[in-house]
Amino acid sequence: MSRTEQVSVSKTSVSKIAILALAIVFAAGLFVVGFDQGHIFSLVYGEQAFIDLTIHELTHDMRHAAGFPCH
Amino acid sequence: MKSSVFILIVLISGAFAGTIHGTVNFAIVEPYLDQAIGLENESLFASGEAENTLEFWAEYESYRIWQKSGQVLAGIILGLAMGSLFGIVFALSKNSLPGKTDISKSIILSGLMWLVLFIIPFLKYPANPPTVGETETVLLRTILYVSFMIISGIGFVVFYKISLKLKNNKKYFGIIGYIGLLIAAFVLMPENPDKITAPMNLVNEFRFVSILGVSSFWGSVGIILGLFWKKFNN
Repeated sequence: MSRTEQVSVSKTSVSKIAILALAIVFAAGLFVVGFDQGHIFSLVYGEQAFIDLTIHELTHDMRHAAGFPCH
Repeated sequence: MKSSVFILIVLISGAFAGTIHGTVNFAIVEPYLDQAIGLENESLFASGEAENTLEFWAEYESYRIWQKSGQVLAGIILGLAMGSLFGIVFALSKNSLPGKTDISKSIILSGLMWLVLFIIPFLKYPANPPTVGETETVLLRTILYVSFMIISGIGFVVFYKISLKLKNNKKYFGIIGYIGLLIAAFVLMPENPDKITAPMNLVNEFRFVSILGVSSFWGSVGIILGLFWKKFNN
């Protein structure tokens, strides 16, 4: 007697490009809120950005509140 | 589901949940931040690093307003980021998640990610208010915190996949393996190098409201994305 097994393979319905786009949003957003110490604005303002810490101060309260290390 | 719709509902869910997170923080975390920064100021005056002058308070008010005004905005940015991760994981794991509906699956996943990516790392490296933490150690503390999140997150996925391949009672090896990994990480990874000099009641209350704030994000993002998914999934 032959036996037939049905194997259902379920794949995600979303494209790899959509996943990649969201992965970029994840990395960029996490960097802005959790880790920036003037790095982003330093691309425009140079060393002064590491003194001003504009984005760092803007995200400072959320950084502490969300559990990320801060100064 | 169309990619554009998928991206849109994930980003809107994250932004909504992030707005809720920022608003909750604004209401319940800000008073503790003010209290902690007040202690920092007293310490600066006592050590002579700053003087209790009108100029000092003018500058202080200026940057505190900037910091407070960023609470909700940063909540939205963080919400977009963590919401995107949540959307990716949901899309990739939806078919193997427990739960009968998209909404229940989404809520279960958000609960798991809250536990694995926030609560478990928090047990080793809890949130601290300002006054706790030296500028010199911020990079080390960041590496430790992120490493613990990665170990917990990837460890969970690996052991979950292993448990799916095992049958009957052997499935528990996946749970045991994950717990073993966490115990090893707790024991082997170094402690936060900074001493806590602030009053412990302030630190503990701050940690409690921090958990409430982050929980508001994970609770809402699961519900919102689940509702959107149910509406737009063909």
